[in-house]
Amino acid sequence: MTNNLGPFTTRRRVLGGLAATGATAGLATGLGTRFAQAQSSAPLKLGFQLHRTGIGAAYGRWYERTTKAALKAVNEAGGINGRPVEVIFEDDGTDAARGPQVLDKLINQEGCELVFGPLFSNVVMATAPRAAELKIPYLVCSETHSVAAGKLNRWTMQPGITDVKSQVRAVAPFIFDTLGKKVTMIYPDYAFGYDHRDFLTQAAKEAGAEIVKLLPIPVTETSFTRYFAQIPRSTEVIYHVMVGPGVLTFVKELGEFYGSNHPKLFGFIDSLEAVNIDTPSLSFLEGTHFWEGDCRYAQPDETEFDKAYRKAVGVNDQGAAINDPKEISTYAHMFSCWETLYVIKAGMEAADYKGPQDRQKFVEAVEAMSDMPASMQHPQGAKRFNGKTHQVFGHQNISQVKDGRLVRIERTSIDAGLYPDETDYTKMSF
Amino acid sequence: MILLLDTTPAIAGAALAVAATVLLGAWAGWVPQFRAWRLASWPGTGAWPSWAGFAALVFLLSVGRFGPHDPLGNLLPLTVWTVIWVAMTAAAALLGDIWRPIAPWRGPVRLARRLLRRRGGVGLSRLGHWPAVAGLFAIAWYELISPAPSDPAGLARMVALYWALIFALAVLEGEDWLDRGEALTLYFRLTAKIAPLWRRREGTRQVLHIGVPGAQIVAMAPLAAAEVAFVTLMLAIVSFDGLSETFFWLGQLGVNPLEYPGRTALMGVNSAGLLAAWALTTALILGALAASGHGAARGPVGGGRAPLLLGFLPIATAYHISHYLVTLLTRGQYVFTGLNDPFERGWSLLGINDHWASFGFLSDPRDVMLIWSAQVALIVAAHVLAVLLALRLVPGGLRTHLPVGLLMVGYTAFGLWLLATPSIG
Repeated sequence: MTNNLGPFTTRRRVLGGLAATGATAGLATGLGTRFAQAQSSAPLKLGFQLHRTGIGAAYGRWYERTTKAALKAVNEAGGINGRPVEVIFEDDGTDAARGPQVLDKLINQEGCELVFGPLFSNVVMATAPRAAELKIPYLVCSETHSVAAGKLNRWTMQPGITDVKSQVRAVAPFIFDTLGKKVTMIYPDYAFGYDHRDFLTQAAKEAGAEIVKLLPIPVTETSFTRYFAQIPRSTEVIYHVMVGPGVLTFVKELGEFYGSNHPKLFGFIDSLEAVNIDTPSLSFLEGTHFWEGDCRYAQPDETEFDKAYRKAVGVNDQGAAINDPKEISTYAHMFSCWETLYVIKAGMEAADYKGPQDRQKFVEAVEAMSDMPASMQHPQGAKRFNGKTHQVFGHQNISQVKDGRLVRIERTSIDAGLYPDETDYTKMSF
Repeated sequence: MILLLDTTPAIAGAALAVAATVLLGAWAGWVPQFRAWRLASWPGTGAWPSWAGFAALVFLLSVGRFGPHDPLGNLLPLTVWTVIWVAMTAAAALLGDIWRPIAPWRGPVRLARRLLRRRGGVGLSRLGHWPAVAGLFAIAWYELISPAPSDPAGLARMVALYWALIFALAVLEGEDWLDRGEALTLYFRLTAKIAPLWRRREGTRQVLHIGVPGAQIVAMAPLAAAEVAFVTLMLAIVSFDGLSETFFWLGQLGVNPLEYPGRTALMGVNSAGLLAAWALTTALILGALAASGHGAARGPVGGGRAPLLLGFLPIATAYHISHYLVTLLTRGQYVFTGLNDPFERGWSLLGINDHWASFGFLSDPRDVMLIWSAQVALIVAAHVLAVLLALRLVPGGLRTHLPVGLLMVGYTAFGLWLLATPSIG
């Protein structure tokens, strides 16, 4: 069977090609040169903590694809510091207890220089202390505010994706100024929902808007209509961040409850990541708004970088896999793996990274980063890294569902997502 | 996506269909003849297929040990948990016992006993099928509850250990002990009992038979106590595997399914849950049999007379297949990508690439409906067959068949609810 991606090059084949080049050079110039060549071009191994199985598997599948595509691009452009790069993927089962074990294995058995890639915050929170113990750079792709809130450590950084707090603050002006000032929030009744509740409530206070009702929904709920009856009539905007298998029922029942005459809706695409929104059961979403990290649908003004990135990861203009247009990618989030790998490359090159002895220098080099222009390294857009809080900031996209497609109607500035520092990791010891 | 389908009518309809079968069968006395015919025969093949199985095992262990770390890229976990545990179960339910010839012990055991000049046994056979019950529990625990059942290196160690243990015991006791004491051998023998095709040894020849599904069961001797335990464990395993992933179960444990901590944190409670599910399944089935005035009521279970229990064999198999149908359709694809490049060397033995596996069908309402329909059909068919078998095995009126019939109706609804309720699976 063939598909439109062309022959896929595995990491080993990428490495094989580079190694063969080295060997030929060695043969031509004698043994001494060959030894030097072998030493300087030994592959640089990076560990990826992958949610291959368990509840994070739908994300893990795309995080792996994205990382492999980025790895291919990095190696084709000469690797890191001239050395070929190898990424060792290790499944953590999306199991918090296995997180630290996977880190140990990647470092001590596989000889990786650092570890990156986890999304689920329970895994991140369980693994980060072990990374600090072993003094291993740990670069997460999680959106968790815990990094910037100072709950982690000097070795843990989030340079590839913005945190929830920044996302909520950046989109809040649009919600309050364009959609309405009286907001009812519907959110799952646990930490993820509380983050949204707290950050939006704070933003509302600052903007002179009003949260007229908070509607936490028990996480095991499967029927939602009785909660909708509690939405005040004065509500101008419903802000919803439901996640999990119940979300489709949630949207369907919300549509049945309101019909065509409903308040404005603003949601986070996290609810419908990897879900096709162009289906009859989700037609209620037509005209409603979503936050997107990266735009699932190719926009008319899509940058050349996003276009090339989209192609490299094997995703079509609808955000689905090129080889299976029914399979929607986790496009809003997965750029974080691509961008994190390029931050690793930039950090290692700035630190002139040679091996484990330079791990601290690497962290310091990343901490010294600030503006990252939109480029092939940052296809989602320009970023600004805050070395003190170990958190990156960037542009957010606000999209509206039009004819079953997500069409971007606003792109926030980097400044819109900034907030005062809550910690300074650079003052902590290594 | 399944949550968007209105599954309640199908569940109710399925339960009604099973109830109607009980009533019609018991009142009208209409029960089909379970006929069978001889199809063909050929000389026996000896132990060489088990040597082929042994060679495959050695290859798979080396892939597990030295191949990709990726549980979905390594042929060892894919073969154990997708090909053997799921696909071969389905194949055995259609084609008969395809495990016994290729099970990787018989040849090596025969050779070892010849070299050691060993005859006779050490009395293991006195334990009957109980070692197989223990083996099935261990396999199920490893798959359902241990933290990383698909981790290739860990699984390679476990499989090697299991093979060595069974090998040593069979060398001590003789190769015929494999049929009694090895869990997968008993598992596939029982699973294959509903197949419309089967082989039987007649002297030195293998004879192929064809018959109405269930024809083999009608001809079976009633199950021994350990076999009863084995069948109830088979039912409990799939039921608990489904249940343990539901939001309902996690809610009972006070675990937020959207912040699922992972398998490790739930090992203790799920171990207890599996045991409880087994105890409950056993109690319900034996209770229903006792209320029918058959089976357990005619003496202790150890007496081994429980003909009605044979009716539960199709149910165990159908639940297994429908429960793992989505696994088969998703991980089954990885078997091909695994074969394509078993050692992650950039090979393309089948001419496909890493992106070949695709899961878009899981978000297509029509495909999801198709899968759900197949699951409903399988479970209803199995229950109807079970009811008919019960009526054939134990003649009697409604009074006799009502307790087991009620249990079947309830179990149908429960089984389908498991497939349709929110879960983390």
